[in-house]
Amino acid sequence: MSYSMKKISLEIGKSIPRFDAFAKVTGKEKYASDFWSPDMLWAGVKRAGVPHARIRGIKTDEAISIPGVLSVLTSRDVKGTNRQGVVRKDQPVLADDRVRHCGDPVALVVAKDRETLAMALSAIELDLEPLQAVFDPEKALEQGAPLVHERNLERNLLLKGSLETGKGEAAFEECDETVEAEFRLPHQEHAYLETEAGWAILRDGVLEITASTQSPFRDRYEMAEAIGFDMHRVRIIAPYCGGAFGGKDGITVQSLLGLAALNNPGRPVKMWWSREESILASAKRHPARLYYKLGAKKDGAFHALSARVYFDTGPYDHLGGAVMALGLEHSGGPYRIPNANLKAWSVFTNNPIGGPFRGFGVTQANAAMEQMVDLMAKRVGISPLDIRLKNALRRGDRNPAGVTLTGSTGIGECLKKIPASRLWQERETWKKAAPLYKKRGAGLASAMQGMGYGPLIPDTANAKIELNRDGRFRVFCGVVDMGQGNASTYLQIAGEILNQDMSGVELVLPDTARTLPSGSSSASRTTFTYGNALIKASKILKQRLLEKAADLLMAKGSEEMDIVPGCVRHMPSGKEMPLSALAGILSEAERTSVARYRTPSAKESPASDPLLTLHGIPHIIFSYAAHAAFVEIDTLTGRIEVKCYLAITDCGRILNPQAFEQQIHGGIAQGLGYALCEELKVDHGMILTPDLGTYIIPTSMDLPDMESSAVELHEENGPFGLKGAGEIAVNGPYPAVANAIADACGIRILEGPMTAERVLGALNALQRGEAQ
Amino acid sequence: MKPVFLPRSKEELWDLLSRYPDAMVYAGGTDLLVRLRKGILDPKVLVCLERIDSLKSVEDQGDRFFVGACATHARLLAEPVIGRLYPVLFQALSQLGSPHIRNMGTIGGNIVTASPAGDTLPPLYVLSARVLISGREESREVPIKDFIIGPGRTGLRSGEIIEGVRIEKMQPYNLAVFEKIGQRKALSISIVSLAALLKISESGIVEKARFAWGSVGPTIVVSPEAESFLVGKRLEEGYLKEAATFARRAASPIDDVRASASYRRLVAGNLLFRLEGHLKENHLKAEQPDLPWKDQA
Repeated sequence: MSYSMKKISLEIGKSIPRFDAFAKVTGKEKYASDFWSPDMLWAGVKRAGVPHARIRGIKTDEAISIPGVLSVLTSRDVKGTNRQGVVRKDQPVLADDRVRHCGDPVALVVAKDRETLAMALSAIELDLEPLQAVFDPEKALEQGAPLVHERNLERNLLLKGSLETGKGEAAFEECDETVEAEFRLPHQEHAYLETEAGWAILRDGVLEITASTQSPFRDRYEMAEAIGFDMHRVRIIAPYCGGAFGGKDGITVQSLLGLAALNNPGRPVKMWWSREESILASAKRHPARLYYKLGAKKDGAFHALSARVYFDTGPYDHLGGAVMALGLEHSGGPYRIPNANLKAWSVFTNNPIGGPFRGFGVTQANAAMEQMVDLMAKRVGISPLDIRLKNALRRGDRNPAGVTLTGSTGIGECLKKIPASRLWQERETWKKAAPLYKKRGAGLASAMQGMGYGPLIPDTANAKIELNRDGRFRVFCGVVDMGQGNASTYLQIAGEILNQDMSGVELVLPDTARTLPSGSSSASRTTFTYGNALIKASKILKQRLLEKAADLLMAKGSEEMDIVPGCVRHMPSGKEMPLSALAGILSEAERTSVARYRTPSAKESPASDPLLTLHGIPHIIFSYAAHAAFVEIDTLTGRIEVKCYLAITDCGRILNPQAFEQQIHGGIAQGLGYALCEELKVDHGMILTPDLGTYIIPTSMDLPDMESSAVELHEENGPFGLKGAGEIAVNGPYPAVANAIADACGIRILEGPMTAERVLGALNALQRGEAQ
Repeated sequence: MKPVFLPRSKEELWDLLSRYPDAMVYAGGTDLLVRLRKGILDPKVLVCLERIDSLKSVEDQGDRFFVGACATHARLLAEPVIGRLYPVLFQALSQLGSPHIRNMGTIGGNIVTASPAGDTLPPLYVLSARVLISGREESREVPIKDFIIGPGRTGLRSGEIIEGVRIEKMQPYNLAVFEKIGQRKALSISIVSLAALLKISESGIVEKARFAWGSVGPTIVVSPEAESFLVGKRLEEGYLKEAATFARRAASPIDDVRASASYRRLVAGNLLFRLEGHLKENHLKAEQPDLPWKDQA
């Protein structure tokens, strides 16, 4: 921490620089990938390279004979179940009989250095018998499709879901207007700065793994079971991640590192995927095919919705069922639609693995639904803003999944703020001023994002706070900060309640041996759940300190006492007791406070299928947003430039405006990448964009000026009225840009991303008079 | 580990090259290092030219400027003479890679890599740059269009290096445009690029035109037909449309992961339409507004 930051007072609502910023920008903060030691070994993986094959043999003798190679391990060396996964455990640590996508790991090598490791990996020969593979998620459901998992119950189906409200499909007969469209969305790579990394050591019978992970406590038993080691002798340490976005919600290097360390006791073993390996092997945002039909009355009131959504989950579950369920639940957007027939499928293929990614299925559904809203606005002849305002959910309404919204519901408030922006007011003038061969348009999108794990999986956190002997408060944070800044917010919460400045608080990052289980850093639930637990724990500790100090200062009672930075003060007399002195008198148990919080879940159960409930349907607390994109299209090249971007968010009260804004900006940037340029090209299961030279993420030059504000409704269950802000912003950009393109030149790009080539193709088709 | 030599003079360099005839020579390494990492190349010995001062200079040589092969893109952008005399090159340099690539990469490297997507190549073509090639015994000078013979292929012989390029000071043009279409605005390999130099009369008539396209053929594509067609005409949609047809005919692009051949061909022509706007927006930039040698020429 820099000196200048030490005296920063910690108050809720105040814009505070991140606690971790200084250490990170000066390189002092150590990520999992930063570990280095002279006796360190390197572990690496031989990967399949083909999308589907039976393993006939793995020739390892040449590799093991290379000097400096310590182990070459295959599935036969895995003592546990050799299966990983959060819901369905179907992903092998090392492939046993088959490989199911190009990135499947087949053999694990441990060597003295990276050069030897690379040599050994290329010396391993795989004898693979190619199998018929399946790459199309709809064809994968057909009779006779090649099976990704031979013993799966229903061909290549991982999970399907269906939600029906009102009269369902039959209600379309009562609609005056109906619009239909089909959309295709690609894989999206997380592209975090820090690729998958970690190190492990087996010492004194304890397997200690430091990994870049979002879920240390879950990793612990998942990994222990898979490699066959006593979970109680596993310790997972989770430093700040250099980005994760859902991609480290689940096992990446952990089991492989565990296996490597078990076979090389006493030696630290490091694994750090290259960018190419990360793109080959990591999970990505699920590609989706979405078939939508929206019906409305003459006045634009939505009346019926039908949606069929196919998610390609690749060969493994990897939360693909839960992603599908959340997408399904959000497929109608933040609108009142009394009749809905919503269906979704999560399907196994031999493509790269689909998995959690900021937005978690909602991003795909919203990309389609928000374009349907604009199509309907055009059909009934009212403005995109008016049709949204007319149909926006209000507190007390049932959402399209049939769940009554009892908490804060700010989509209407967000939308109402759009016309207040100058960008929006002046858009027609701005559009008319487009230069030669350019067209300009403005597009809107609403968004919503459910918070937490849903009804069945307990969404809990356990906070622990301790008064150190030096008089500072130490927050034991059991949930990962993957870059969102939640750890800073925890210090702010503790500082607010215990009236401390930045110099009076410190942090212990997640460590299964030191902090308490608090769930994964995911689902927009991190600060909500842990923050609530921490408020409880801080209040308990504060009361205990006030009481103890009152006793020691012979005060009438704790009501006469208050905490000020560094000490407890007896207000009537002004007498003070330094916190360090108080800490010296208290036992460790007295100086420590622990509290648990469980996030409330819905009392209604709209899904008749218990599997859907298990996978998270329904949610009860939602964040909302209204976005507007202002784009300029070059009709000579099809290139799209987003000139300005406006985001208005309801994620409850804002605890730290700076941290909030960073989340929104980051979400918009990632969403614009998804909209405009990020496309994992996959042909027969092979990735054609294997690096960041070909998989195109936006640079700062490609991003617009962004205006972000919040409506700040109070969420009664939230810590200080907050709701989650981590995911909501990624759901707006795709449809906002799509709607802006349609506004500018009357075309709709139905397959993402909306690259220059696709835009120019659609412009030319329009010119030729072809149907859109 | 492989040896990397950093000679400080050409004499040292020639010695090294005769001692290690298979050595691979490089300057900034922005192309080479990527290929080494991918394992596409595996030279036994590397020789880096970046410490040889004479290869980095930008010199006034009377009626021409010499630009050293090892001058980095960033260095050239900072050199006032480049922006003043060769705005088409300046525009290309400013869109090349990103600040860190421009700090490492060199103009000589861009030439010798001979990628059809090399951003400095279309400007060097329209500027009729000549490549100065040296070996231990002799030097020669070749027009850039003859030096580059295919994707990644040049007329460089064993034991030779590029010393630099020579560009005429007298560039009788008053409209200079470089436009690059990539998948994003920085750190981007061009899908199509166009360098255009025109001389437009006060009444708006094209008197001279030079065009060169990047990424639409195995090497830089030129279209003398489009150039001569426009002479005597105004930069108006109707004429540009015909010139675009010539351009598309000259192009022979391929499909790759960045774009299809048909998109490249289409856009190669479309970029010509932009010239009208550049002219109207008063982007007339005299290549040599008030330089002393203008009168002498």
